[in-house]
Amino acid sequence: MNFSRVAAVLRREMQEISKSRGLLMAIFLPPLLITTLPLIGVGFLGRLIESEPAMSSSSGDLGQILQMMPELRDWTAGEVTVFIILQQFLTFFLMMPLVIPMSIAGQSIVGEKQNKSLEPLLATPIRTGELLFAKATSAVVPALGATWAAYIVFLVLGRFMIPSERVYSALLNPKWLVAMIVLAPLLSLLSVSIAVTISARVNDTRAVQQIGGFIVLPIVILGVAQTAGLILLNTTTFLLGAVLVGALDLLILRLGVRLFQRERILTRWK
Amino acid sequence: MIETHHLSKTFDKFTAVEDLDLAVQSGEIFAFLGPNGAGKTTTMRMLACLIGPTTGEATVAGFRVGRDDDEIRARIGILTETPGLYEKLNAVQNLDFFGRLHGLDATTRNRQITRYLDILGLGDRRKEPVGNFSKGMKQKLSIARAVLHEPQVVFFDEPTSALDPESAKVVRDFIAELKSEGRTIFLCTHNLDEADRLADRVGVFKRRLIQVDTPENLRRTLYGQRVLFRARELTDAQIGALQALPFAHDVTRNGNSISIALDDPEGMTPQVVNALVAAGAAILEVRQERASLEAVYLDLVGKEG
Repeated sequence: MNFSRVAAVLRREMQEISKSRGLLMAIFLPPLLITTLPLIGVGFLGRLIESEPAMSSSSGDLGQILQMMPELRDWTAGEVTVFIILQQFLTFFLMMPLVIPMSIAGQSIVGEKQNKSLEPLLATPIRTGELLFAKATSAVVPALGATWAAYIVFLVLGRFMIPSERVYSALLNPKWLVAMIVLAPLLSLLSVSIAVTISARVNDTRAVQQIGGFIVLPIVILGVAQTAGLILLNTTTFLLGAVLVGALDLLILRLGVRLFQRERILTRWK
Repeated sequence: MIETHHLSKTFDKFTAVEDLDLAVQSGEIFAFLGPNGAGKTTTMRMLACLIGPTTGEATVAGFRVGRDDDEIRARIGILTETPGLYEKLNAVQNLDFFGRLHGLDATTRNRQITRYLDILGLGDRRKEPVGNFSKGMKQKLSIARAVLHEPQVVFFDEPTSALDPESAKVVRDFIAELKSEGRTIFLCTHNLDEADRLADRVGVFKRRLIQVDTPENLRRTLYGQRVLFRARELTDAQIGALQALPFAHDVTRNGNSISIALDDPEGMTPQVVNALVAAGAAILEVRQERASLEAVYLDLVGKEG
């Protein structure tokens, strides 16, 4: 692999991203919303945390959650509510590494198809592996950067906005580190592989995003299931998820690499 | 510089290129002529290592297609049918990207970018997004991109198709300059006048190679050599005097002009003039007739069916 060629493609991709308002929105808007919305919510719920009495496993709708997480038994109802809201949004953090690369990679590959710029590009000494690697990196890096930056901002602002020390401490649970450091990169790779595979078949960036949009469904389902008390996301579930996503990555990436060949791109990609 | 032996390309059941044997010499401008869908672009793509041949072999710059593709790609430049530029980037950024892919250092890149943008008349627009460029400007920028790294072999697919006459002349002069620098030019074109002006040899192609030669030899082979004589007034007696000449065949009259096929125009034209003058003709004009390359092309392609 020639890294100066990879760097050249990365540089150009970044130049194009910086000039595309749509892509800049796709990179910056999700982290902004996912970071600020829960913190604003927590700000409103601050008083609730102090006023509500302690919980028990038999108290109302939250009882089911307390059965799954007995360590919250001594918490006030307000604390548990805030904690659940924050947990939910932390799950949504995992949507960013899926959504952002899909937008970037879709635009990058379909954009080249629309411009018909792949042929002159493929006539240079660059190898298809280098091109694919560069395109994947240019999609994954901003996505992970945005996800991690948003997570850090979330933790820093949360320190000031979450009135309960124990609620805040729960956000520092190692499972979230596993999710951010292991699962998020694998999800990004999955998103890029799917974008490459879809891009080979369609000629419209919006079509890539619409078809690829279904990729976030499992995360949404997980979030809803967790809120409903049907499933408990912990370090083990995240590690199992990472193994599953890793396996999917390998499968879909292989398909993407097979599709991303010079002759196929020039003769079969329509 | 370019050689092919029994080169063929088939897509599923469709044969795009069949049994192509071709040799293009170093420093030559070779024009590849053929109708739409004849397989010219497919041939060019095979030679540029973009797609692989189904059968046969080819070498470019001494390297074998399919085995030494990286070596070949480093030594060729290509102008594709469509410019394929990055429209949000400016001219310099577009060229800089391709310079980097070809491994040019920063000093060389900057020098080459400035040089080619100036030659092709884009120096003043260097910092403007390519999306604002006219079709012709994009075409010229794509040409600059194809030669930025000083390739030995340059493939041009319809280099002047989107250009106004003035820009087309700039590009033709530029191609001639590339030849004078010793580069080999493989030119796919429909513009027969352009091929006639630029090419050392032309290949007429329709899925398979129909004929290859210099434009002049193709004319001679197909139409022989004809000389036209125009007189103030031509009489039947004067025509009869010409028909009596043993070397003059295929005498065709058109008003006061007469066209004669001659095997050796240089040696025989004075004798024809003498015969006409002796028969009392007042000759106004004598010139060698040249069939257009278009006529040659249409004839060859028409015969191919």
